[in-house]
Amino acid sequence: MEALKARKYNRREAIAGYLFISPWIAGFLIFTLGAMIYSLAISFSHFNLATNKMRPGGLDNYRALLDDPRVAGSLKNTLFFAVLAVPLEVMLALFLAILLNRVGRGAGFFRTVYYLPKMTPAVATASVFLLLLNGNTGAINSALRSIGVEGPQWLVDPAWVRPSIVLMALWGVSGTMVIFLAALKNVPRDLYEVASLDGAGPVRQFFTITLPMISGAVFFNVIILTIAAFQVFDQAYLLFWRDQTNVAPESSLFYAVYLFQQAFRQFNFGFAAAMAWLLFVILLILTAIQVRIGNRFVYYEGER
Amino acid sequence: MERRRAAIVAAGVAIALGLAAAGCESGSGDEGGGSDAVSFDANVSGALSAWAFDNADDVGQARIDYAAQQLQGVSIKMDQTGFDAQKFTARLAGGDVPDVVQMDREYVPTYAAQGLILPLEKCFTAHNVDPKQRWYPNVVGDVTYKSQVWAVPQFYQPPAIILNTTVMDAAGVKPEDIDTSKPDVLLAAVQKMYKASGGVPAVLGFNPQATGQTYLWFISQGGKLVGDSGAPTLDDPSNVYPLELLKRIVDAQGGFAKYKSFTDAFDTFGDNNQFVKNQVGAEVDAQWYPNVLSPYKDKIKIGAVPFKGKDGQPVTVAYGGSFVIPAKAKNLSAACKWVLALTDDGSWDAAATARAATIAKEKSINTGLFTGSPGPDKAIRDKYVKPSGNAGFDQVISTYYDVVATGKSAGASPAGQQLKQELTNAITAALLGQKPPQKALADAQTATMNAYRSIAGS
Repeated sequence: MEALKARKYNRREAIAGYLFISPWIAGFLIFTLGAMIYSLAISFSHFNLATNKMRPGGLDNYRALLDDPRVAGSLKNTLFFAVLAVPLEVMLALFLAILLNRVGRGAGFFRTVYYLPKMTPAVATASVFLLLLNGNTGAINSALRSIGVEGPQWLVDPAWVRPSIVLMALWGVSGTMVIFLAALKNVPRDLYEVASLDGAGPVRQFFTITLPMISGAVFFNVIILTIAAFQVFDQAYLLFWRDQTNVAPESSLFYAVYLFQQAFRQFNFGFAAAMAWLLFVILLILTAIQVRIGNRFVYYEGER
Repeated sequence: MERRRAAIVAAGVAIALGLAAAGCESGSGDEGGGSDAVSFDANVSGALSAWAFDNADDVGQARIDYAAQQLQGVSIKMDQTGFDAQKFTARLAGGDVPDVVQMDREYVPTYAAQGLILPLEKCFTAHNVDPKQRWYPNVVGDVTYKSQVWAVPQFYQPPAIILNTTVMDAAGVKPEDIDTSKPDVLLAAVQKMYKASGGVPAVLGFNPQATGQTYLWFISQGGKLVGDSGAPTLDDPSNVYPLELLKRIVDAQGGFAKYKSFTDAFDTFGDNNQFVKNQVGAEVDAQWYPNVLSPYKDKIKIGAVPFKGKDGQPVTVAYGGSFVIPAKAKNLSAACKWVLALTDDGSWDAAATARAATIAKEKSINTGLFTGSPGPDKAIRDKYVKPSGNAGFDQVISTYYDVVATGKSAGASPAGQQLKQELTNAITAALLGQKPPQKALADAQTATMNAYRSIAGS
């Protein structure tokens, strides 16, 4: 009798839960899952959205992915960006979060100031970075010149194009920083006090207390930033591909930019959809690897 | 149980895929109406919707007002957001099709090749307009694809070379030395004027606008970018010479990377522009640039010479704007009459009157309007372009009028956007020394051909 009552209660609770999240479920089914299934269907066809013409294409688009050297080239550029940008963004965000965590008076002011770049529209940021990164007169090279270093031609030299996009991406680091800041606030103070009594210095405390205690946030940020890095579009597009007279070295052709060009400049939607699915699979595999590795290092409160 | 649930999910996905595919296939029959069935009536009524009429200045507004008067009884609704290829595609797919769209002429063949816009021969016939009479031949050529005219063109602002007399006099360079048909003479002049500071350019002898005037350089120097069928021909051997010439000019001035960074830092539209600051000795500029310079007429000394082709003759190449009528437009007759009214003699006269009033108010120099049509160009010059009291500016204006009829079309290709991007990429790679010109052009041709095949379906 008691068991029956409990099951009834659980079911009622579950129904209430589903009702509460039903707007999200409807949105997910229509705008995410529905769109994904549609794009999967498109990827097996030759489809032109503008003319609404579709003819079956079998595996043509997936074979074309292998034949088109720009798919591999743009993936390589994107991978380079991800490998450079993700660790740098994590380290910079963590550094800023630690600084902000130590600020006593005016903490709110500094948090707001540090978060402002995230609120700046990408177009405005790109305009500023076009000036900052100018190889002859930009502020970055002027600063380097003042200490005797001749800076590179960031926006023209193919070797420096991707690092310049990384620099611009770092401008929006404050989103990651806020997550780290929240995690740092949750680290119990008494752990540090005990460590201090045991003679542990700041560096030792960071590696033995702070880092393990915020490992969940680090793990989360690495996964989210990796996914975002593989989808990077704004920065590369605005700096190099905004119109056809832009100097756009091949090293600035990122995967999402090429996908956009295929879909909306060449109306090659089937191919673009196949590109999107290839990226999805790559991200799925990468995330699975990260989860597998990450679980070994992440501390979950209450688990162990 | 788990297996059963998985089977249900798999079946659901399969059904959804099938439905999605079926939905598309049913849409496949819903194509734009064939142009054969289209007719344009000279008598018009109803509502007209137009898109991409953003940033209408005094000239644009005067023409819009004039055209509205020619279509009494038609309600005109204008969307003043800018043209965007992605948005246009989405609007066509969603059935939200405007009757008229304003777009760059370079885009026209792309949409023509897919039957998304209408050829306008019947529109011209309905209103007794002969395109070859109304517009310069090269301007009509920009919007002619497979022997049909697909848009009503507007504006032709030719490029020429503006000379900075201050820099040239200081270096002992004469106007006749800035001759693009004589590379050795030109390069000698460039070297006399070029100055570097701290390893980067401080004064360019000649700014060729290497990536901003790509078509001009290639077509004028004997290159061929588009074949008769609209297929790209970037790997044509004739394209190697223009690229090599550009490389010589840029290499003589610090190399491409430093040259590009230097020109990117120009305050082109501001008080400290490259002529005020004497950062260039000579520069290729389109006809609108003297308008930018006119407020600084007392601070600068300028002149102009024509851009010359390999044969030593003046030549110009430039695109401009146009109006197209989508295949699924609802009020074709009104659309046709309206776009022709926007480009007729009365429209340009209204525009010139408005511009003259603006200039009188601002006490500026009237540099004329370059409409794309020979008749209005001459009428406006005769009526409004008078000696300004600044001999240099008057000579610049006169030079642009002298070369406006020397235009050549770069050709109309369905892969026009990609062609321009790939050509810019080829120029960049060659000027940076990453690839030899032949290899850069061959790679660009491969990429553009892929785009051409996917758009033209060949």
